[in-house]
Amino acid sequence: MLPRAIKRLLHQATLSDQSYRFMFDRAPDDDFVVIDCETTGLNVRTDDIVTIAAIRIRGNRILTSEHFEAVVHPDSEMGAEAIKIHRLRHSDVEAAPIVWKVLPSFLRFIGPRPLIGYYVDFDIAMLDKYILPLVGIELPNERIEISRLYYERKYGDAPPNTSIDLSFAAILRDLKIPPLAQHDAFDDALMTAMMFLQLRDLAERGIRIERQRTSPVFNPIGA
Amino acid sequence: MPKAFDINNPPFDRLTPNEAETLRAALDVAYFRPGEAIIRRDAPADALYVVIKGTVEERGEADLLALLGPKDTFDSRALVHDQNGHKFLARDETLCYVIPRKVALNLIRANPRFAAFFYREISQKLDELANDEEARRYGSLMHAKVGELFLHPPSFMAATDTIEAAGHLMREINSNALFVRNGERIGIITGMNLSKAVVLRRLPIQTPVGELANFDIVSIRPDDFVSSALLLMTKHNKRRLAVHDGERFVGILEEIDLLGFLAGSAQVVAGRIDRGASLQDLASAARETEAQTRVLRRQGVKVEVIAEIVSDLNRRLLSRLFEMVAPAELRTSGCLIVMGSEGRGEQTMRTDQDNGLILDGPVESKSLESFRNEFSGALGRFGFPPCPGNIMVSNPAWSKPLTDYLADFRRWIALPDEAAHMNVAIVYDAQAIAGNASLLDRAKATLIELIRGEQAFLAHFARAIDAFETPIGLFNNLITSEGSGDALDLKKGGIFPIVHGVRSLALEQGLRETSTDKRISRLCDLGVLRADFGRDLKQAFRFLLMLRLDGQLAASGGASGTLVRPAHLSSMERHLLRDALQVVKQFREIVRHRFKLGMF
Repeated sequence: MLPRAIKRLLHQATLSDQSYRFMFDRAPDDDFVVIDCETTGLNVRTDDIVTIAAIRIRGNRILTSEHFEAVVHPDSEMGAEAIKIHRLRHSDVEAAPIVWKVLPSFLRFIGPRPLIGYYVDFDIAMLDKYILPLVGIELPNERIEISRLYYERKYGDAPPNTSIDLSFAAILRDLKIPPLAQHDAFDDALMTAMMFLQLRDLAERGIRIERQRTSPVFNPIGA
Repeated sequence: MPKAFDINNPPFDRLTPNEAETLRAALDVAYFRPGEAIIRRDAPADALYVVIKGTVEERGEADLLALLGPKDTFDSRALVHDQNGHKFLARDETLCYVIPRKVALNLIRANPRFAAFFYREISQKLDELANDEEARRYGSLMHAKVGELFLHPPSFMAATDTIEAAGHLMREINSNALFVRNGERIGIITGMNLSKAVVLRRLPIQTPVGELANFDIVSIRPDDFVSSALLLMTKHNKRRLAVHDGERFVGILEEIDLLGFLAGSAQVVAGRIDRGASLQDLASAARETEAQTRVLRRQGVKVEVIAEIVSDLNRRLLSRLFEMVAPAELRTSGCLIVMGSEGRGEQTMRTDQDNGLILDGPVESKSLESFRNEFSGALGRFGFPPCPGNIMVSNPAWSKPLTDYLADFRRWIALPDEAAHMNVAIVYDAQAIAGNASLLDRAKATLIELIRGEQAFLAHFARAIDAFETPIGLFNNLITSEGSGDALDLKKGGIFPIVHGVRSLALEQGLRETSTDKRISRLCDLGVLRADFGRDLKQAFRFLLMLRLDGQLAASGGASGTLVRPAHLSSMERHLLRDALQVVKQFREIVRHRFKLGMF
């Protein structure tokens, strides 16, 4: 595995379509993009992307009014399980343009901005599977992992043996963010964006998220 | 384009689907850290915000005016009128939907119902809400099915049967209309047809009904809407419709029953009280009064009208009871009065017994004593709880000769204490129910005369408006700890300051009106209150009464019902509650200034 900085240099050299040079520009200050993909399963090699959603963040604003959202056709048969989780119908997926058609506009939408996501490596690996043959690179963008920001705020100073819960639902609960319709790529991305802004603010102000005591405390007064 | 944006949350529920789409497409989401200003004081707002999570403080010069929680929208004033004079701060980590100013203003311009939310005056907003509710509630009545109404049973006669037989059958089945079958044809004959035939046309009572029946009947199905029934009656000018389920006639719908369904049946209860012959009759009428309140509210009748109807029924009841149990002597030489909220006619639910008796002169003590106990006892059995302050006929201090009352008044005003202020307040609100009303007139005229110019007394009297804070600051807990025990006391925080402030101003002016609403109107006429403020004050008062009534209906029989849990209100109601409490606050300032309460 090559260190990412070296990989970045390498990809700058291997970029087959020079019109995507902008991917290596300097990102505008305080601009981010939250991404989320819904997929047919969790195996990067055999599964496929069903929907892609991306939302820009500028400063403390989530620019939902300028977002990217696309339903793409999966090569493999979409599992009944996935249909159930995402509440998508086969016909929704059939009618959509194939992933190749949407990737150019997706790349222009994200540009060189850092990408934020919940287990973002998985989403990016899925996307790279299609981007590499298309433009000859993997996504060079900086990655920001929400579960890591959350881990730092909540468990960064935790004693050993603390039980750790990094689930999406746990983060929503701790940050008191109302759950949206969930398992729709756009809503997941929007909730991730909300998490990012609050976690970043907590970090800037040096505020930690409280942990529940795991063992009952002896109370000498009773009750 | 957040699909999660709740388009059913007022005022956005008034947008058309296309407008809602335009709105959603333009939405952004903003994050504010604790203490961050969302809208600065006297700055125009570049957007309209809807809280997703967190709490937002609305602050005036120095003090906290309100706390906004999820689904609350702010700030309409800053958006439409460029500035508000208030600032909005995030209290904790807060996320809001951001509706760009241009988009919001376009929607306001295009959609008048949506725009109503942004009017400057609370009175306009409240009127709009009331109309909405009325339409909704009245609409739901109109969508009831004909089959749910009271139908007279379908009874058939042959065309050859006589007038006499028809009359007997009508009495037997207690119905005023019968079906008449003449071969294939079906008609209807009514009691009025029979009377006209016999009385005006002098037909013998052996005449066959076939000659009188009306065969031009209009029918409707039991699963048709009530609104269709009303339309058919109007179109064909019919007082009754035949109800036919496709196979056979199932009943007759009379106009009076249809209208009774739409209008409630308070007049029926009133009639029952007036005709009541025994305490038993009155007890059952008293029970029905309570049921009326619920029906009226569900029908969307305005709260001030409900109060009027309920007060009227309660007064009739007391008056009838007085006639029944008072000795003849008391009925002419005494005056039965109701005080407090019953006197002001502002009760919507059954109330404590706040009543008294003014006598012309001394009365034989034994018969008076037995009347006192009988009267208060009967009311207790009707479901009127005894007054906690013991202000009722059974207490000799509240059933005595006029001269004794006048002596009390002088003492109260010369040597006022807490009880004296309260007594003046309730006597000033008194109304005569039965007996010699001139006794109360004389008592009140004396009271007003004694107080005229007593500024020190009035100031102490008015001071009670400060007994309870306006509970605006409480909002936070109420909104954030949804469902937990916190609640806001409408009576202390909103209703009492209005009632008492208005009462103080009215007493100073020597007004004779008793209802808060009428007192406000007169104070406006006299120039004591500005007309537009008077309008706002009235609307705020009605809105608070309505919230209290809803609380009472919900608590139904249980607790006082003056507590309201903002978390249970719709965001529109919360918005209006905020505005109403704001008006209360302004009004307190006016009263304080008027009586120079700052000196205390």
